[in-house]
This record gives sequence, structure tokens and C-alpha cells, in this order.
Amino acid sequence: MTTGNMWQPVSLSHSIETATSAGTRLSGEDLVVWRDNSGIAHVWEDRCPHRGMRLSFGFVRGDHIACLYHGWQYDTGGQCQYIPAHPDLEVPKTIKVPVYLTEERAGMIWTTLAADAGPLTVPADETGTVPVQSLYVDCSADAVIAVLESMTLAPFSAGRDAETTISAVNPSLYAVSSGQDRLLIGIQTITDERTALHVVISGLPEVYEGGGQAHFLSWALDLRYRIENPPKKTFAVSSRAVAEVL
Amino acid sequence: MNEKARLVFTGHLYPEAFVEFARHRARRLDIVLDIASADGEAVNVTVEGPVDLLDAFEMACSLGPYDCLVLDVVRTAA
Repeated sequence: MTTGNMWQPVSLSHSIETATSAGTRLSGEDLVVWRDNSGIAHVWEDRCPHRGMRLSFGFVRGDHIACLYHGWQYDTGGQCQYIPAHPDLEVPKTIKVPVYLTEERAGMIWTTLAADAGPLTVPADETGTVPVQSLYVDCSADAVIAVLESMTLAPFSAGRDAETTISAVNPSLYAVSSGQDRLLIGIQTITDERTALHVVISGLPEVYEGGGQAHFLSWALDLRYRIENPPKKTFAVSSRAVAEVL
Repeated sequence: MNEKARLVFTGHLYPEAFVEFARHRARRLDIVLDIASADGEAVNVTVEGPVDLLDAFEMACSLGPYDCLVLDVVRTAA
């Protein structure tokens, strides 16, 4: 069971390029994920305090993001610094967007809705990561984990008969290993009925880019299919029971 | 530079809803708000702060909360 007060991934790192923004949801809360020109990622409430426009529709310039609607500009702390309609105004400190703790780890951007969530328990990348895909499914995170734990993984590198091992790094991150290969699956609770899976390969780009990505994307798409199409329940009916009905 | 102004909003008002809305806007704009009187026909307030923010407050309250209809605003120096 995951909640917005725990650290959860909200995007693959490579999905948010420098000077871009995107909208997402975490436990029903609308969030903007954006990356400033120095490469630092930010996760905020996706709402301009002025008229409520989504900041994910805005544009990033340097180290601030500007609302699409009236151009109000916010610095990396969420503080409004400039209102184009009132260029001489010293903007009150009360005009501020709620910002959330943000970390980048394991090729994903992580956040938590709780200000006192404690440190993120995801080890720093030692070998690097290669992005595969973010997938979205219409079911709970618990249902995703149940299917994930039943999966097997054919390795890419060598040894087709290698055994699959699946372990939880933390409640929102699972490691799936087979042979020399290791996938990391970040689980984002969008709502109680919708979940995102952020899939990366733990390994060197020169080994996995291209063929490795395609190999594990195929596995991830199979995982999504199994999540969305659980085995149908079957019922055993005896021939005698059928005869009695007839 | 700070200014002080009296604003009288008249129309079809739910005073509790309108006053709550006005207090929220004043907090957001970081201006000083004093409610002089409030009833179903008029809300009389005094505000103090940068003139641009007083303008923003007046504009926001002229729209008001969804269940109030502001028909007129009179602004005078206080």
C-alpha cells in the first residue's frame, strides 16, 4: 500500500528534458514536474495562485517557470517574483506555489506530499540506468504489485534459463533480476484506480541502449497486458449436475 | 508605496461567504483588511497596501464568491 505521503516516482528522468514541464498526479493531487535550465528537477502543486491555471501548461525560462495565462513568474522555491501587468510591484511573499521535496534517483524523479517524509531510501545509481518506458494502467498499485511478483524475466545479456528474482527496494520500487540483468520498476499511485509504472534498466547505456531497451519494453508491455487482463475464473461443473439441470 | 482605501461592495450578498472570500484574498495579497460592516446588501471594508494590490483586491471582490452578485463598487480614499 502506497500513499502520497511516501516517496514515489512521478516520472522517468529522461522524460523531463531541461527547460520543459509536464503534469502528473500523485494520490489524486495534480502536480507539475519541471526541470530548470541548470538541470534540477522540481515538483510543485500544478496550480497558479492567481487564477488556478495549470503551471504544467506554462513555460520554463532560466530558473523560473511562468504561467501561460498571465505570465506570473515563479522562482525555484515557488515564490512569485514578477507579475508582467505590474512590473514595478514588489510581489508579496504570500503569493507562492506549494512545492514538494524532490529527488532524482534510479533514473526517476521522486517526490512526496509530506514535508516530513524522511530521506528517500533508494540507493544512488552505481552503474547508471537506461530508461525503458512509463506505462499507465487502470488498477490499484496493490494489484500491479500482485501481478509483478508473479512475472518471470528472460535476460537480455546471457543465460536464457536464468532464474528471476523480485524484491522490494522500498514500497514504491521493485527490482526484477535475471542473470546479469536488473530492471527497476517505480510504482506511482495516480489515484486508487490508476497507477503508473516507471521502468528502467540498471546498467550501462553502451550495453542496453537499443536492443536491451526493446527487449525489456516487450517484457513491460507483457506485464501491462497481464495486469489489465487477469486470468478469468473457471468453474468445474460435473456432468451429473448438468444432467440434473437438463 | 502604501495607500489606504475604503471599498463598499453592494449587490445581492451572503455576508459570511463574502467576508470569508475577502479575508482569503487579502491574506493572499498580503494587504491589511478591516471589515467595517457586512449585510445582505452591502459590505464595507477598509484596505491598506500597495496600490496595485488594492486594485487586485477590488477586482477579485467585484467578482466575489459564486453565491454573491456584486452590482457596484465605490472606492474612496480612507
